[in-house]
Amino acid sequence: VGAALPVDVLTYEEKTVSAILRVISSGLVRLWSALTLLGFYQNRRCAFRVLQTSPFLLALAGNSRDLVL
Amino acid sequence: MSVPSLKRIRQVPRHLLVCEKGHARHPRSRHAAHVWDHAYNCRVSFLIPECGLLPEVLKSTIADFGEYYLVRNLSVHELVSHEFIDAFVKKGSCYALTYNTKIDQDNTAALLPNAITIDLTDSSFHPDSKKHNRVLWALKDKKPLEFDILLAWYHTGAEESTVMSYFSKHQIQALKPKITFSTIRDLQCPVLDSNELEGKPEESCSTEELFEWLGAVWNQVSLDNKSSSFLSTYCCPQPNTVVEKAFLCTITGFIIPEKITQLLEQLCCYFGEPKLAYWLTLTVHGFADSPVSWRESEHGFHKGGENLYNFVIFRNLDYWLQMAVGSYDDCPP
Repeated sequence: VGAALPVDVLTYEEKTVSAILRVISSGLVRLWSALTLLGFYQNRRCAFRVLQTSPFLLALAGNSRDLVL
Repeated sequence: MSVPSLKRIRQVPRHLLVCEKGHARHPRSRHAAHVWDHAYNCRVSFLIPECGLLPEVLKSTIADFGEYYLVRNLSVHELVSHEFIDAFVKKGSCYALTYNTKIDQDNTAALLPNAITIDLTDSSFHPDSKKHNRVLWALKDKKPLEFDILLAWYHTGAEESTVMSYFSKHQIQALKPKITFSTIRDLQCPVLDSNELEGKPEESCSTEELFEWLGAVWNQVSLDNKSSSFLSTYCCPQPNTVVEKAFLCTITGFIIPEKITQLLEQLCCYFGEPKLAYWLTLTVHGFADSPVSWRESEHGFHKGGENLYNFVIFRNLDYWLQMAVGSYDDCPP
């Protein structure tokens, strides 16, 4: 996917092992599918969990589902 | 694989970004109306370029955001009881929204100050009326629903808020919005012209470029990438200028439109004295699990529950207002 479909790694935070990826809208399903199916990296088991998606980068700055009271 | 299936892979979930331009002091400006119509807000943030220290009047406006409440295990029928209506609905603006319910999975309830769907202020909704009894039966006996509920009450009267004492038999917490301040140094900011929403090559950036840039700033995305970078090709739109410092403030909680309106007005007054900044921004995120976005427009959660808006206020008090919604939302007004 990364070769056929340009994907930007906009941010990566080592502490939470989380990143923000950017892809063209028509590539969303292929990128999400590729992440879902990626179970190994360099012989180590791994899994990707998509926490939030949006066509607007600004929307990722605020997620009410993270509001803990 | 058949061609129709391949087409579906490339289909893009529908989303909308609308933009309007106006002047904050024009008598027919609708900027305040858009704020009033968006009832449930979980995050308010503003960015002021060329500002290192927040003026006192803005600090006190933020400090005055007031309290909101979290009431645990509250039955929905209590929000339509006459005691509640008389104590709060008729005496001010009352907002309520279920907490920790996902609109794509769970039941959700909300109370708007104008309470249209079941109009609590309707004269025919009195204790002995058929309508009142039917509603109470539905919510109490037919489908008793209990939620943890976020509540906020705005009133202009001199009396103290009685929310805590009214719900004293429930588990209730009074909460203050969380406020954070920060400063960014040497920030690349797009050059904007309030008259050019689509931007002008070599002269100004468009509203979409500004919207994406704001997302980059608030998500701490690097703006220094080169377009040939392997990791990320995102860079600040051109033309841009580097500002020495920018002030950022974020307020999170259950924030009502009355407070946002006051903040917006003070941000407009920021340009009452000469300032280096050409513009500033105010961004408001709605609750992803709110049942409505603007007014009573139904809001949903497809792959995201975005319903947010952003003001760009210019030095001359022209403004841009951008409103963004996702797949299961009507077009903003």
